Amino acid sequence: MKGWRTLFPNAWYVAVREYRSRARSRSFVLGTALLAIIAFAATQLPVLIDFAAATSQTRLEVVVLASGMPSDSLSVLDQGLNGPATSDPNAPKDFVLTWITGANVAPARLEALTAGKFDALLVIDRDPNTHDLTFLLRTDLAQDGQAVKAISSALTNLEIEDRLVRAGTSTGAILAPYALQVVPVDSSSAMNSVGREVSTDLLSTGLIVLVFMAIITYGMWVAMSVAEEKGSRVMELMLNATTPLQMLAGKVIGNGAAGLTQYGIVLAAVAGGLLAQAPIHKAVVGSNAGTQFGGLAPNVLAAFVILFVLGFLLYSLLYAALGSLVSRQEDVQSATSPLMVLIMAGYFMSVFSLQAIDETWVKIASYVPFFSPYLMLARVSVGDVEPWEFGLSVLLLAISIVVALFLAARIYSAGVLLYGQRLSLRQVLKAARVSR
Amino acid sequence: MSLLIDSVSKRFGEVQALQDVSLEIEPGEVFGFLGANGAGKTTAMRVVLDIIRPDSGTVIWNGQLNTELPRETWGYLPEERGLYAKMNVLEQLVFFAKLHGVRSKEAERETREWLERFRIPEYADRRAEQLSKGNQQKIQFIAAILHDPQVLLMDEPFSGLDPVNVALLKEAFLEMKDRGKTLIFSTHQMETVEELCESIAILDRGIVVVGGSVRDVRRSTGRQMVRLAVEGDLELAWLGTLDGVRVTRRGQDYTEAEVAPGHDPGSVLKAALSRGCTIRHFEMADPSLEQIFIEHVGQIDTTERTLAPKAAQA
Repeated sequence: MKGWRTLFPNAWYVAVREYRSRARSRSFVLGTALLAIIAFAATQLPVLIDFAAATSQTRLEVVVLASGMPSDSLSVLDQGLNGPATSDPNAPKDFVLTWITGANVAPARLEALTAGKFDALLVIDRDPNTHDLTFLLRTDLAQDGQAVKAISSALTNLEIEDRLVRAGTSTGAILAPYALQVVPVDSSSAMNSVGREVSTDLLSTGLIVLVFMAIITYGMWVAMSVAEEKGSRVMELMLNATTPLQMLAGKVIGNGAAGLTQYGIVLAAVAGGLLAQAPIHKAVVGSNAGTQFGGLAPNVLAAFVILFVLGFLLYSLLYAALGSLVSRQEDVQSATSPLMVLIMAGYFMSVFSLQAIDETWVKIASYVPFFSPYLMLARVSVGDVEPWEFGLSVLLLAISIVVALFLAARIYSAGVLLYGQRLSLRQVLKAARVSR
Repeated sequence: MSLLIDSVSKRFGEVQALQDVSLEIEPGEVFGFLGANGAGKTTAMRVVLDIIRPDSGTVIWNGQLNTELPRETWGYLPEERGLYAKMNVLEQLVFFAKLHGVRSKEAERETREWLERFRIPEYADRRAEQLSKGNQQKIQFIAAILHDPQVLLMDEPFSGLDPVNVALLKEAFLEMKDRGKTLIFSTHQMETVEELCESIAILDRGIVVVGGSVRDVRRSTGRQMVRLAVEGDLELAWLGTLDGVRVTRRGQDYTEAEVAPGHDPGSVLKAALSRGCTIRHFEMADPSLEQIFIEHVGQIDTTERTLAPKAAQA
């Protein structure tokens, strides 16, 4: 085909023009800035959660009147209220405990409670008959609120501990570890622990959403730019200067590159946000914390990049073809709706497939060009994929791109010259048979 | 060394846009396509440019099929004017020139030169959407010629321009001719054709009804026009009674009559003299292009007959 020989440099000039006009447009600049800010803010959510927790601490004073309390009473209560001790002594706690012994302090503390020096006063005594611990909680906190519930369940632990100590044992002794060995039958599946599945599912969903968003957003850019040229009639000048193949290739490359730029900026904001999380956390909450994020397996990353690029190419070529059928930019949305259905179908299939990765339908669909960008990605990131399976899927996708390129060039060269009412695909294909 | 359009036919659905069109256009010539709206002028140009492939027939320039020729052979000013609205003028002209293989530096220099000549050098850095329609048209003309094409095709180049800009564009037009370019344009303004064209073709519903040099076309009917004015007789009632003579226009200056083929226009003069008239004005001429056009096409059709499907039809 003559088109291949002469694809460059014109396709390159078109791509550069597309990229510049896209990247300079106000919607691109504002959109990218907004997305980057949202992405950065999203990475700071854990800090916000910790900050909110730190500022909603309940100050609890405990006055102990009872004698013969278990030696680890304070730590049992602390663990019951604040959870297991962490390695970080500065980590924010839900409850700040003050432990006071002696009957004479009680009236003074009650005064302090009334003055609002702390939120709750707990008096621990011992029943002279049953020898059980008795608790008196004075507070204005909601009776059925989180704090009172937490205190009440922590006191249950303390009561049990006290009874066990009086019976001559302790919680620690009762809950002491014992031997349990789990031996997998198939050694290759040993990695499939529950924890791994949850995190890889999240990761795969994230990657699939990235592909989905790119195709929908940037594919639409291609369709819009075709419709814009047709609408402003600059197309007629372009048709004499370039071939439809050069135009298509340039548009797809230019808009794709602009899309990648936007993606790059947003992902940089995410990475920056994650890196900034620890220092910000320290400044705001006053302690160290941060999201632990596991590395992305290199093979998954490679598969993602390949499928992302090929998927975008396939869909954006079709977007360009459909964009050439409308006379006004306002009609692009409805003209491209069939593609939208296809994209959504692939997306939902892949989300469902994560729970059924070894089903036959998933395997078959992962070779079908329109769905393989999602489903093969899902399979690579969650399941086990043989190299030849991935290769075959990519090969079929690549072949479909070549077919789509020529089909799109045909539809496009006929479509851009036909003005008037919405054209049906049949009319265009008829016209396409005789156009160059 | 000429542009040969050989039996080109093209049908769009119900509309036969071109039917067996054959034309030969000499290099360096100014050629005009005449026709009513929808006669096939634009389609003919698009076929020459290889933007549309004909159902049958070929186009040859310089002995080479148009499908084999590089795109920079042609310069095209489409009827539907369009530019990239948000792009500045210099940038987009350089872009168009680069697509045709011109180097950036040269394209920029040429662009500035042409903007200077069209008296709009200050528009180089403006966005296209900020320009008036006439100025946009000049930009498009520059876009069509920047890459120094051998053949320049222009679809209604003078429509919608004020007289000053028409004069500027005609000047540029003639300069392209002096540079040895072959110029082809379509119009329905007969005066422009008589002023600029050496050869024409009149198209009607996809068919070339008459073509050739302007002089041949004007003589193609074999008719002659006679304009006569005599002292003291405005009516000239006797003129219509002469054999083969038909009065086409009566006016204060003179009366115009058409002499059928095979009749001697001089017989009108003789008849006037034999009636003892004092002759103030006598002129013999070929019919005007407008008359030829009306004769061949019927009348200048003002109704749209385009390729877009009609909404409703009686």
